[in-house]
Parts: sequence; C-alpha cells; structure tokens
Amino acid sequence: MRILLIIGVFFLTMVTAMAENAPLIDEQSGIYIPSLTNDQAVSNLHTQYDGGWDYFVGGGVAAFDCNQDRYPDLYFAGGKSKAQLYINQSKRGGALIFGNSTAQNLNINKVVATYPIDVDSDGIMDLMVLRLGENILFKGLGNCQFERANEDWNFDGGDQWSTAFSATWETGKKWPTLAIGNYVDRKAEGTPWGTCSDNQLFRPADSDDGFAKPQNLKAYCTLSLLFSDWNRSGAQSLRVSNDRQYNKNGHEQLWRVEPDAKATEYTRDDGFKKLNIWGMGIASHDVNADGYPDYFLTSMGDNKLRMNTGAGKKPKFKNMAFKLGITAHKPWSEDSALLSTAWHAQFADFNNDTLIDLFIAKGNVDQMPDFAQHDPNNLLLGKPDGTFFEAAEKAGMHATNLTRGAAIVDLNLDGMLDIIEVNRNEVPGVLRNLGNSQAMGNWIALDIRRLDDNKHSIGAWIELRINDKIQRKEITVGGGHASGSLGLHHFGLGEAKLADLRIIWPNGQKSDWMTVKANQFATINKQDSALTFWSPPDNAEMMH
Amino acid sequence: MSVKKLLMSAALGVAMTVSATVGAVAADLKVGVSWSNFQEERWKTDEKAIIAGLGDDADYISADAGGSPEKQLADIESLIANGANALIILAMDTEAVMPAVLNAQAEGIPVLGYDRLIEAEGVFYLTFDNVEVGRMQARAVFAAQPTGNYVFIKGSPTDPNADFLHGGQLEILQAAIDSGDIKIVGEQYTDGWKPENAQSNMEQILTATDNKVDAVVASNDGTAGGVVAALTAQGMEGIPVSGQDGDHAALNRVARGLQTVSVWKDVRVLGKKAGEIAVALAKGETVTGSEKWSGGKKGVEMDAIFVAPVPITKANFNVVIDAGHIAKDVACANANADVAACK
Repeated sequence: MRILLIIGVFFLTMVTAMAENAPLIDEQSGIYIPSLTNDQAVSNLHTQYDGGWDYFVGGGVAAFDCNQDRYPDLYFAGGKSKAQLYINQSKRGGALIFGNSTAQNLNINKVVATYPIDVDSDGIMDLMVLRLGENILFKGLGNCQFERANEDWNFDGGDQWSTAFSATWETGKKWPTLAIGNYVDRKAEGTPWGTCSDNQLFRPADSDDGFAKPQNLKAYCTLSLLFSDWNRSGAQSLRVSNDRQYNKNGHEQLWRVEPDAKATEYTRDDGFKKLNIWGMGIASHDVNADGYPDYFLTSMGDNKLRMNTGAGKKPKFKNMAFKLGITAHKPWSEDSALLSTAWHAQFADFNNDTLIDLFIAKGNVDQMPDFAQHDPNNLLLGKPDGTFFEAAEKAGMHATNLTRGAAIVDLNLDGMLDIIEVNRNEVPGVLRNLGNSQAMGNWIALDIRRLDDNKHSIGAWIELRINDKIQRKEITVGGGHASGSLGLHHFGLGEAKLADLRIIWPNGQKSDWMTVKANQFATINKQDSALTFWSPPDNAEMMH
Repeated sequence: MSVKKLLMSAALGVAMTVSATVGAVAADLKVGVSWSNFQEERWKTDEKAIIAGLGDDADYISADAGGSPEKQLADIESLIANGANALIILAMDTEAVMPAVLNAQAEGIPVLGYDRLIEAEGVFYLTFDNVEVGRMQARAVFAAQPTGNYVFIKGSPTDPNADFLHGGQLEILQAAIDSGDIKIVGEQYTDGWKPENAQSNMEQILTATDNKVDAVVASNDGTAGGVVAALTAQGMEGIPVSGQDGDHAALNRVARGLQTVSVWKDVRVLGKKAGEIAVALAKGETVTGSEKWSGGKKGVEMDAIFVAPVPITKANFNVVIDAGHIAKDVACANANADVAACK
C-alpha cells in the first residue's frame, strides 16, 4: 500500500483534520477515492433548470472568476426560469457558499447553455449565453457586471434552439472564431422529426472589431461542439456531436477550419468514419499519453471513447470505452435491464494521483420508459494500467437527479476539484471534494496568460512532466454538455513534490521546461514564459 | 436434460465470462449465442427454446452484452475463441455489430441474425413476420365489421415496425376502402407506443367524429388498452379493436369481448427454430423452409425464415392457455359466456 505525504500547507492540514474517516482505498488498484460532501444546503444555490420538452436538453453552468478574486463564480442556465449569476463567497478550503449577484441583465429566461470566454481580450471574462431564441454575448465590465454586446461586436444572435458552443483563435487573428450548435428547427414543417437546424461559424471581421457574417454548417441536431487540435497541426478543428434522436441518419462530424478558407467537413474518404450516436457531450483528453487528444462522447446506452489513432495524419478514431471500462452504459447503482442517459462529461484528476479520472453526468431525458429513471452520475477513477473503475458510490455521489451540465472546478481553492451538477427540476448538486485524509496527492494550479489577444491562451498545450511521464492538457473553450469553465488549470502531482512543466503556445512556440513546487498557484505569461507564484486571498470577496 | 453452468474467462484485455450450458454428454458442436441485454424479461424464454432446439446436436455457450454494443463485439470474439461452430446474434445495434459478423464469417462461422435484422451477405435472418401481424389484425377486425367508419391507431413514429404493421393492415383493407365500404375517419401515430397517448388520440378522434366510429385497428395491445379506455368512457366498449403481443391484460379483454384479437408471437417457436437452424448451419447443411429475401434497407439478398404469429381470438383462446403462456384464471376473469376455452 502506498502512502502519500502532503507537505505542510496550512489549509490542507485543516481540511485533513476535518475529514473523519480513514482513507478510502480501492482494494484492487490501491487508488485513493476522494470523499465528496454535498454543500447544497449551505450553498445558497437555489436555481433550477426547468421547462417542457424544449428544455429536455441543455441545463448548463459557466464557472469563471468575474470579480478578480481568484474564486470561480457561477452562472446557471434556468430554462423556462431565469438564469442566475452567483458570486463565490467560500473561505479557502471551506464550505462552498455563494451569494446573489446584482447583475440584473443576466437574469433572463430561455437560457439553455452558457460558456465563459474573453471575446475582446480586455482581460475581463465575457459570457456566451445560448438560448431557445436569441443568443446573447455579454461583455464583462468587471465586478461581475455585464452588458449586451451583440450589436457592438456585430454578433447575430439568431432565433434558433441553440445548445452548443466552442471557440478558437485562428493564427494571426485578434478576435476568436465562434461556433454555435443548434438543435431541432422548431419552426420547420414536421418538427421535431428530421428537422435539424444548421450550425453557424462566426469568424472575425476583416475590420478586426467584431464578427463577419457567419458560415452555415450542415448539422444533425447538435448537442456539443469542441474546437480541438486532433492532429497537432496548430489549427483546432471543430468536432460536432449530434443527437440521432431526431435524425437517425445523422452522424458525428469533424470540420477543417483553416485560415482564409471556408470550413469543410472531413469525409469518409479522409478516413473519418461514420458514427451514429445520441451525442450529448464531448470531453477531450490525451488518455493514452501519445501526444494526441482523444475524445469521450456521451450518448444513451454505450458512451464512446474515440481514441485518436491517426498519428496526426488521418482523422482515425477507435472505440476504446469497453476496453478501458468506461462505457458506463447502465446505472452502477442497480442490476437492471435499463440503460443510462449521459450528458456532460469531463476528464479531471479528482484524487491528485496524476492518473486522469472521468466524471459523467446522467439522467433520464424526462420519463423515457426504456431508459433508467434512477441514473446516478459516474466518477470513474483512473488506474495505473490505463483502465478505470467506478468510485461514485464510495465517494458519496448517490443522487439520482436528472443531471445535465456540470462544472469540475476548485471552488474553494484548496487544490482539490469540486463538482457542480445542474439538475433538471431540482437545485444543483454542490459536491465539495474533502480529499481523503492523508491520501490525496499533491497538485498545481496554473493560469496561462497571453498579454495581447487570446488572453487565456486557447489552443495552447500544457505539458507537466514527473519522472519522464508527461501529462498533457489542451486549453479549449467548448464541449461538455451546455457548460464551460475557464480559469485555472489543475494537475495532480501524486507524491511528487516537484514537477517540470512547459507550455506549447498556440503558435507552436515551446517554452523552456520549468520546475514547479507542489501545492502552488502560478501564472505563466507568454511574454517571458516565466512562472509567477501567488496566493489567493483566504476569503472570496463578499460584495457584488 | 441435466444442465450445468461453466464459466470461462476469455483472453481479452477485460475479464469477461462466457457461460456454457452443456448436456450430460458433450456434443461435437457448439452454438454461441450473443444476447443484447439478457436482463430484459423476454429472453429467458427464448434461451430455453434455443437450448431445446439444439437438442443433443450442439452445446450452448452464450454471452450477454448487457446493453453495450461495444461489449457485444468483444463477446462475439470470445464466443469464437471458445469454439463456437455457429453464432446466433441478437444485435444490440445492428450496424455496430457488423465488424464482428464479418470476422466470424472470415473464420467460416455461420451467423444467424435472431429477431433483429443484421443486413449482411451470408447472414441467415430469422424473425416473426411483422407484415403478417398487421394483416392478421386487419383480417380479424374486418371479419367482425366489414363496413363502416374505421380508425387506425398506429405505433411510434420512430419505430420502423410501426410502418411494417400498417402496411400489412392496408393490404387487407385497401379494397374495402377503395370501394367505400370502409371510411377512414381517424389515423394517428402513438408517441412511444404509450397507452396514455393512444387514449388521448382516440378521445380526440371520438370528439371530432361525434363518436361515429365502428372499428379500431390498433397496432399493439398497449395502444389497444388506451383505445378501449377511451371507448369505455363513451359507453362504446365492445366495438372491434385489434392488438398484438398476447399481453395478459389484452388476452383478458379478448375473453371479455372488449378486444377482438391479440396477435401473439410465440417466442418459444422462434427460439426452437433458431436452435435447429444453427445446428444445420454448423453442420453445413441446407436449412429447410428458408426463402430468399432482400427487403432490408440495403437490399442485400439473404436466406430468411419468417415465423407466422398466431391471432388469438375468442375462437382459439385455448391456444395461449394450453401453451402455458397465461394462467386460465387470469385469462378468463369475468369472461363472456361465448368463450369456450374459459368454460
């Protein structure tokens, strides 16, 4: 049995003292299972995602810091009810507590999905708000205040049922390229069957002050989009996950988005094989550590891990979910014939042991009788042999709400990732990661900054090396189900007290390897590629 | 037959089990059955029937994909590795299973697509005749009510079977519709085949037609239940209504005169046939009674057998009781006096 030693960081010691139980250890693998406690009752998060069939999908949350206090704040989609912004008021290492915001203009209904992004690169996070109806880009003003920017930025919000978003910065562009995913065309004849809206690709206007007229992209009822550089070409391609429910002849898509050319779809001739699923969400991670991102696609029944096997040459992907134990096609909680319905998915290291883990949000569409009604979320922890095991029950994730979107983010800045779950017709799940006695590994949290445009370095890769083993993370905006987080990048360090890291900037330029100490917050700027260490305040700001 | 279960672990990255049920004396052949999701209630009956169909000619080995198309691929590899001479595949996803089917064929192992079409050259297709189900429904209703106002309560708009069924119904009724003997006064799909949706659709049709409805062709027993509820609320119960599945509640409605017919697919017949065909295929023999069929989406020509279902009416009500499909006291509760089998 391994024992991980945590170096003496004060707040961690406090958390450790609070956890009463002995370490939870999976006997077979020796992997530590984090303990999660639900802070819902004290969180003040009273929002819920509700509405009729046109809100069966969606239900997102955006996690980002809107008042520059380093603590992530949360904006929740409400469906038929009003969307709500909540300001983080947690103490460092303490319970997850939030307060209402005064940003009235964000309290709007018909919000389906939402993603943070700094569109105008002014250093203040903006918000993409996707709706059943007009989408709105809100410009962040600081102090968690926002103003509508559709007109100023020449962004046409349309009048679709928008469900998905992703963004990239193309080489040499000051402004991002935005992709909007749309679901059923609710005004077409014969709706909903076979009537899927096109998606839209907004590229920067030549005048460099907003967006040009969008390109329509043929789609098959999209529920998730992700710009990701599958072939490490330096240009992120657009992966599209489509729901076959309303168009059974649809399929997953991949679009080539290269400078100064219209986006074009990869075809069978290019090697991109047909995959026809109830696509709900995309999670990406370099699961097999070969330098190329792999994609986990949520669906009904089998979920798919599309392992990137094209070696950067052809868009070839191989189903590996069953071999790795992450099909997650039935509820782990009961022995039943009924299958699961999966939505948001995200790779993250929940126990800081350096092995990547996977969270999957689950929940019946509403009352579909052929699918499980009691369908708890999954916490699949990575094992040294590359496979995963289900740890949700032991970790304390028992709820069987109809979960949709989620955010995996360290909300109380204690170095351990917490989970926010957006639930249909119920208040959110607020799962605080208590760690696991002395068992949690070390960690590092990184803010990767560029000083001019593309402030959050979308498209950059972070490489973290411990004993010649490299963990990689591509910085992206998009994916998941209706939900996005942008801010600090978290890595587990296991027992290591030091790690080497470098950044591969969006233009391909590599920084030198830098050594970091464990259990620190650090910023890396592109200009000098140097590390700056900082400590967050002990309390999140109480105002706003 | 004395039966024991063997567990074997296959040489795959992930441990899995293949269960084998063998007779007291091991046979020369093995037939591997790949189930899509064995916890669904129905398949236990099919399994017994398949084992009966194999008789002493072949041992039965099986694997359960548990609802995962990806696991089913691994299951089929494993059945092959365990020496299956023929495969019976109930596909979870008829497209996703294709690589495993091609792999089996490459090793010279014949494949039978059970109940669900696996449309590939060389695969044998065994299922019930779904178009015939529709014909049987229409025939029974038409015999009871050769003229008047008809309503079609169809199945789910997303299920291709719903249209197969309706196609069969129209084959029987089209001439009478063309001649004007029958007038269609309402026609509705039923979202998700749900009885409550069928009931509200029927209620709307009754309102729209001022209750001037003489017969209802409903596509299964669940929708028939919704229809009968709507009719009963208007005091119209007893007009001809069709159904399908041999549901216990529906059979009792037949005995009580509330439903004309329930077309019953006896899975024991289908399962036994599958066992017999698999043995013949494993031995390299020709299958008697098969036909050439190319009615799938891709138009691939395949050998097929379509097992005829049985329309259960009050005239042959004894069939379901004698077969042990339903207990007599359940089937015959409050039965009409003219149901001989209930006496």
